[in-house]
Parts: sequence; structure tokens; C-alpha cells
Amino acid sequence: MQMTTTKWLLRLGTLSIFLLFISCYSVKLVSTNGAPNPDPNNDSDDDYRNKRVIVLDTVIKAGTTTDAIGFKTQRDGCESGKLHSVEYKNTLGGSLLYLITFGSKRKVRIKYVCMKPEN
Amino acid sequence: MATTTTYQKSEWDTLHRNGPFKLKMLQITELEGKANIPSSVGRYNDVAKEIQRLIKDAQDHGHGFRAYGSRWSMSNIAHHPDRMHFNSYMNIDIPILAGEVHANSPYDSSNLFFFECGNTIKEISQALGAHGKSLKTTGASNGQTIAGCISTGVHGSALDVGSVQDYVVGLNLIVGPNDNDIVYLERNTRPALSDAFAQKINARVIRDDGLFNAALVSLGSFGFIHGVVIEAEDRFLLKRYVRKIDKNTALKLAKTMDFKNSDFTIDGETDANGKGNRPYHYKIFINQYVEDDEYVIEAMYKKPYTTPYPDPFTTIEKSVYRDLIYLLIKISEKFPSTIPWFIKRLEKSILPDVNEETLGTLYETFWDAPYQGPAFACSFGVDHKNSARALKLLTDLTKNEGPIPGIFAMRFAKQSEATMAFTRFPITCMIEIDGVLWQKSNKLMSLTEFSRRMTEVLQQNNIPFTIHWGKNADWGFPGLIEHMYGDNAKTWKEHRNSLLSPEMAELFSNDFLKTTSLSNVLVPVDDRFIAPIV
Repeated sequence: MQMTTTKWLLRLGTLSIFLLFISCYSVKLVSTNGAPNPDPNNDSDDDYRNKRVIVLDTVIKAGTTTDAIGFKTQRDGCESGKLHSVEYKNTLGGSLLYLITFGSKRKVRIKYVCMKPEN
Repeated sequence: MATTTTYQKSEWDTLHRNGPFKLKMLQITELEGKANIPSSVGRYNDVAKEIQRLIKDAQDHGHGFRAYGSRWSMSNIAHHPDRMHFNSYMNIDIPILAGEVHANSPYDSSNLFFFECGNTIKEISQALGAHGKSLKTTGASNGQTIAGCISTGVHGSALDVGSVQDYVVGLNLIVGPNDNDIVYLERNTRPALSDAFAQKINARVIRDDGLFNAALVSLGSFGFIHGVVIEAEDRFLLKRYVRKIDKNTALKLAKTMDFKNSDFTIDGETDANGKGNRPYHYKIFINQYVEDDEYVIEAMYKKPYTTPYPDPFTTIEKSVYRDLIYLLIKISEKFPSTIPWFIKRLEKSILPDVNEETLGTLYETFWDAPYQGPAFACSFGVDHKNSARALKLLTDLTKNEGPIPGIFAMRFAKQSEATMAFTRFPITCMIEIDGVLWQKSNKLMSLTEFSRRMTEVLQQNNIPFTIHWGKNADWGFPGLIEHMYGDNAKTWKEHRNSLLSPEMAELFSNDFLKTTSLSNVLVPVDDRFIAPIV
């Protein structure tokens, strides 16, 4: 009996990891013009290495009538006010939160890089 | 006033994570806003003073000082353990007015442009594009800063053009903290700008061919490169073809550069007699682990700029999970025999699609090269006539003593006038192996050991060679620099001594220069090398 339970738990764990893996993806829009704002202190091991990346990772409370949610670029790290790239990430947790709360709580995870200031 | 932010650091790394290296201080300078100093010349001169202040401060603390831009070099050429200066925000461009061109200038005044050090190839390309102009070549990408490119001799594969430094016709250097330490340097035989322009940027003028050629590929050690004058040309389009062709034909072309009498032709790229046109760019890709009678090659032909032309950018791009690459490399370290199999599987992500064709400007063709994880690159320059023999030696070494997780390519660039340019043969073939950085294991030699073996094999087979300054190598290999450059290394050091005071020569030296024995101060300085002040 204990063996069977362990086996099922293992299967469930594997399935959960698989679901988490496939339900987490990102889409990125990149400008073909302009240079990204650099950041020599960014040593991350991803596409944003050496770039000044701004991360919005939050849960927004929305009314049932709320359609879209908008953001403006922030001044700190985005002096040019122009966008170079925007990445939107979707996660299983975010989708579940939306479903469970009937859309009143929306997980937002956006990364953006602005254009390097021109002199 | 330009402002500098100083960060206390413990380490610094290259973009491709070839370190880490120890570092005490990272300094980032940003220019004064246009609202306070509206003129670009005013802001340029203002930040020059700030750089001189930083140099003085470093000197007062007994520190070394090294500027860098996009940190693309894989060797430690950009590194200094004391103070490193990030100059990418210094990206002014100053228009050159008709009256500011030297009376004896051989250059078309409409092709001369002045850019500050931190401008990237992309920024410069866009600025030139607004004038209907283009760079002559790039390093096959656009993220490097102009100062970084010329300091390390960055090249593409433009057979008859050369490297990035070869279209630089003037240099504005800051060689110390004093008023007369701002220098405008250009060739005496081919002056570009008038003294009036130099006065505008508070620089004393030096016109000296030898000193200029030495300072062109300076390895970051002829002072702080503040600005460069480049010679651009009219904007053009590149028609790019990817083909798979007979291996012997590809290598014969590398050896002869005779495209006219080759079996290789592309429809529409022939003369009236059906003979092949000479391409602007020629590159060969070699997966050394596959026995194939054909190689993938890339050829580009220059076309007049006309609009409209199709959008050269693909709309959708997919990338491989980086963790998957890391996993493969970890497996490779334990089981190196799997490397050829992995490379074959990843070939589609590494090599361009066969029969691909695009049309775009230089900047659109050689677009962004995003960071794709820790990487290595070893790049050896040989006379193109020796290219097939050198390739065979290096690929055999890689197979027999490796395998190493990377694949080879061959690119070609015309000879440079720069004293220490690695493109020193009439046409230099750069044989390069690029790949994923690995850790030495009991079954796989280290990167330094691999690059040392490459050096040894070329030496043993009497093939003259050079090594790309910004790439991985065993830079401490005994007698390496003299072997590669002969008397040019001495000439370069003498010119450096003539320009810099002993204190500044030390301040602008780094471990790379010391490892290669290029930081040595030679005394006494020969009068021939005291640069005339015109």
C-alpha cells in the first residue's frame, strides 16, 4: 500500500513539474532600431546581461469590468522613455490565479529594456 | 558637469563570462544634460575634463585605469584589477563642418564623421544612415563600441576592405591629466581634419604616420580613446546567399580568392561572360566532426542602395532553452565523445539555413548578436594562401586531442596598416573556433591547453600566424608576440613610449599587456619616435 502511494506521489510530482515547465513561457518583442540601454552591473545569465532591465512583477487587483491594464515607462533606468524590448511572461500560477479569482487578480510579469539615451 | 558614479566591486567579468577577474572599482561616467550644456562640443569637452580628473585620481592612488565599452572581448584585454571605466554612455557625435577638413585631406568631406568612444556600431550605423552613409565593414555584429573595436582589431569578412580600424582616420586621445594631454592624432601623409577642429576639442595636433598606425590597434594602452574620425561611404545593400558547395572548391577559393575562375557561381552574380563576381564577403563554416564532401558557405555581394527592398528581419525567432545547452556541456565534460553528436544535433541553431537569401544594409545584415551563455572563441590569422593547410592542422588537432565543443569558420580581411593588427597578411584568413565554454575535466583539456596546442601546431608546421587580441589564447606562450609580429612589436612599444609619460604608460598598462610583454618601457627613446607637434 505504502509503495503504491509513493509511486503515485512520484507520478504526480513528475506531472506537476512537467505542467510547470510547459506552462511557463515568454514572448518578447524587440525593436530593430536603436541600441538597448546598457548596464555594466547587470551580470545576469540571460539575454538581459549588460542591459538595464526593468522588471514589473506584481499582482494587480482589477474590477470585473476592467478590460486592459496599462503601464508607463519609469524614469529611473528609462531616461530615453523609448522602448527597445518588452517581454511578457506567462506562468501556470498566474493563469490559475486569474481563474480562481474570476479575473479580479491578475499576475503581471513584464521585463522591458529602454533605448540607450542619445547625446 | 559630467558625473561619474563609482561602484566598489570585488570582481568583473566579460560578456561571455570568460572570467571572473578581480576588480576594486567600476566607474561610470554620464554626460551633462543638453539643457545645461546645449552644444555637443561643449558636452564633449566637459566630459574630457571629467576623464582627466579620473585619471589624476587613479594616479594619485597609485592605481591603473582602463576604459571598456561592451565587454565583448573574451581575453582579459579589457580588464584592470584597480579601476575600470565604462564608457558606453559617452556617445556624442560631432558634425564636421566643411571648413574643418584639412586642406590636404584626400577624403571626401561628406564621408568624414566624428564619434565619441562609447558609440556602438549600431548607433554609428544609424547616425550614418541618416546621412545616406554606411560603415565600410563591422565585426559581423553591432553591439561593440567603436573604441573597443579598433583597440582589439575587430574584423568582419570583407575581403577587400579590412577591419574596423582601417577606416579610422583620426584619433582623439587623452593621455594624462594635464591641459596638453589631450591629443588629436592622424596620419601626416593623409590628414583628415584641420587644426581648427582640434582647437575646438582643446587638443594639440600630432600628425605622424608611424604613431598613428601604432595607436590604431592600441590594445587599450595608448591613453583613453575619447573620439575617432571615421571615413564612411555611401550607403549600400548586401545581397546575402548561403550555399552548400564542394569542400575543395570552397577551400580553393580561400586559397586563391579567384572567384572569376572558380566552379562556384551564383545565378545573377556573374559577369557578362558568366564568370563569378568577386563577393564583398566570403565565409566558410566547418563542422570538423562530420565527414562531408560539402561545406556551408556564405557569400555577399554589394548592391546600390535603392528602396523599397524586402524587410530583412525575420518576424519570429525561437531560441533553445539555455539550460539544455548547459546540461549538454556538463555531459560533454564527463563524456567528451558525445560532443560531435551534440554539435550535429545543434547544427541547425549554429549554422545558417542553406539556400537562405537576404537583402539589407550592412547594419541590417550584421545585426544584434545576443548573449547566449558562456562562450569561448579562438581565432588565428594566417595568410589566405596557407588557409587550407592551417585549417587541416587545427581541425585534426581538435578531433584528435579533443573533441572540443565548438565548430570552425573561416573569414577573410584585407591587410591593415595598423602596426599590431592581426590582419597583417595581404589577405588574412581568420580561422576561428567558437563554442560553449567548458571546464577542464580528466577527459577534456582546458581551453588554455587547447589554445596552446593550436599555437604549437602552427609553429611546428612553420605557418606564420597571428591571434585575435580579443579572443581566447595562451597569451603567456613564450616569445608569442615576437614570433607573430617581429620588429613591429618593438616599433609599437617605442611609439607608445613616445606618446605616454612613464607614469601614464604604467597607468594604462594591464595584466594582458604585462603577460604579452608589451608593457615594457624602452629607454632611451629614439629621437625618431618623438612625435612631431604640428
